[in-house]
Amino acid sequence: MPTSEPNSEFRVNPPGLDRRSFLRTSAVLATGLAAVAASLRPLLDLDDYTSVDRFLQKYYKELTPQEMDLVLKRIEREVEKQYGIRPHVRDLKPMDGVEFVYALNLTRCIGCRKCVHACVAENNQSRNPEIQYIRVLKLPHGSLDVEKAEHDYAPESVPEPGYFYMPVQCQQCKNPPCVKVCPVHATWQETDGITVIDYDWCIGCRYCEAACPYWARRFNFTKPSIPPERINPDMAYLGNRPRRQGVMEKCHFCIQRTRVGRYPACLEVCPAGARKFGNVLDPNSEVAQILRTKRVFIQLKEEMGTSPRFFYYFDV
Amino acid sequence: MTNEGKTSWVMFVLVVLFTGLATAFLENLWGRPVPLEAIPLVDLAFLDTATVRRSYADLIRAKEDLSDFDCYACHEKSKPPVLRYDAKQQLVVPPEHSDIVMGHGSHGRNNNCFNCHNETNLTTLQPRDGRELKLENSTPLCGSCHGPTYRDWEMGIHGRTSGYWARNLGPIDRKNCVNCHNPHAPKFPGRQPAPGPHLLHPLTPAGIGNDHTATEPHPNPNHFTGGNGGNGDIAQSRNGASPFSPLLPVSFPGFEIVACPHDLGKPEPRA
Repeated sequence: MPTSEPNSEFRVNPPGLDRRSFLRTSAVLATGLAAVAASLRPLLDLDDYTSVDRFLQKYYKELTPQEMDLVLKRIEREVEKQYGIRPHVRDLKPMDGVEFVYALNLTRCIGCRKCVHACVAENNQSRNPEIQYIRVLKLPHGSLDVEKAEHDYAPESVPEPGYFYMPVQCQQCKNPPCVKVCPVHATWQETDGITVIDYDWCIGCRYCEAACPYWARRFNFTKPSIPPERINPDMAYLGNRPRRQGVMEKCHFCIQRTRVGRYPACLEVCPAGARKFGNVLDPNSEVAQILRTKRVFIQLKEEMGTSPRFFYYFDV
Repeated sequence: MTNEGKTSWVMFVLVVLFTGLATAFLENLWGRPVPLEAIPLVDLAFLDTATVRRSYADLIRAKEDLSDFDCYACHEKSKPPVLRYDAKQQLVVPPEHSDIVMGHGSHGRNNNCFNCHNETNLTTLQPRDGRELKLENSTPLCGSCHGPTYRDWEMGIHGRTSGYWARNLGPIDRKNCVNCHNPHAPKFPGRQPAPGPHLLHPLTPAGIGNDHTATEPHPNPNHFTGGNGGNGDIAQSRNGASPFSPLLPVSFPGFEIVACPHDLGKPEPRA
């Protein structure tokens, strides 16, 4: 039987596995599998799953009132589960014949930052890491150059001599660059002039943040943390309902307040009365009177062509 | 080396590599979240919407003790009080009224109590046109001198408002001059500012403000302070760039520059 003689020159492995290659292959396979499993480990830390309802939710503008009700109920459930507080979430639509305008008196602002924190409290912003819609800039007299601004001033007392203060927040532009760049139409301008964000539609690409010349948009890099005792339960879908990780947010003129006729939170807390808000289409509103009677009012970075609905004015 | 030996060697390296990777993943050596610095919650006093002072009208409404305003407990009705002046023609405030700081007008000429108070009836105020106004209705008196501000206030564009911008949906709450201004020293008082934005990951143990000053450029142009600039997004560069600078470095989660060698062992420059 010459064929059964092993050929020492051209030895081939017998069919099947020998002991050595079996051990080798299984060792490599086991470690490989372990590596793959280990790389998926971060999934174990996920506790904020996207619910099926949220995943299948339609675009905001396509939701029927009945579907919107279900969405609002779902949000109320989610907030209650997370914070232990039953909120009141509404979907507030813009009023007819209303166009909101904000005016801020640079002569009066003393830079006390109360507006910043009233906004955080009203709009359920993350406390750690801090998300703040308003940034108060301290500028030296004689300049409106934001490159010279300081925003982490902490003196004993404000105002400091030789400086003035300019709070900057979303300017609610008439020609908003952030809306143009959004690839999924998750942010748009409403008829009352407020540029809103649908937090359930945002994919977190941050294009809008890059497009905004006012640094008004904020991104939730981490899961927002809000102490339950500081939750504001009066919520609106496009407004101050809690955001999740990975979505943009910004000032929305306190939709949950202004669309039911109230003043925004930053205005009500301002001790100096530097902030004015109202319907510019009403000739008797404060803002209409300011734009009519004040000799000096400006739009920040007007050369950008964004045409903000946020005016800075001076007492003249 | 034979073919067999080569394969064994490669397999050995791969096994070691995979085992190392698996350990690293399980131990989460990369992307371990950097623990956040605790940020104290803001003092609720900074959220208070009350005005900076309480007016006489507020005290009446709150039914509080008004004995301080009972002028004729001390003064005599028939004898108007006599004002005394020092050598510089400044009013000498009597010790009974030591709580009053005469600081109305920077020119120092508004030094006569009876520019506003009514000499013959101390419980009222008297603008120059001869009207008599109650103490709690002082706004027209202020307006008799501060015309443009009074005009602005009437339109709602000076002073504080709260409540409803939509008049058909709810009431608006307007404040008067003396809700915010002390009539004797009306300049708006300074106050402590609320805390500023916190850095997500402070560069130095001492934290914010102990960094490079805004005017001094950092020796390393690629230096930045790491972290999310206190606002969860753009890193704050403190070496001369403002939050609006278009060239700000953006940080990535899990990638944090903790300290720059230029910051270590160097006295912190302060402007």
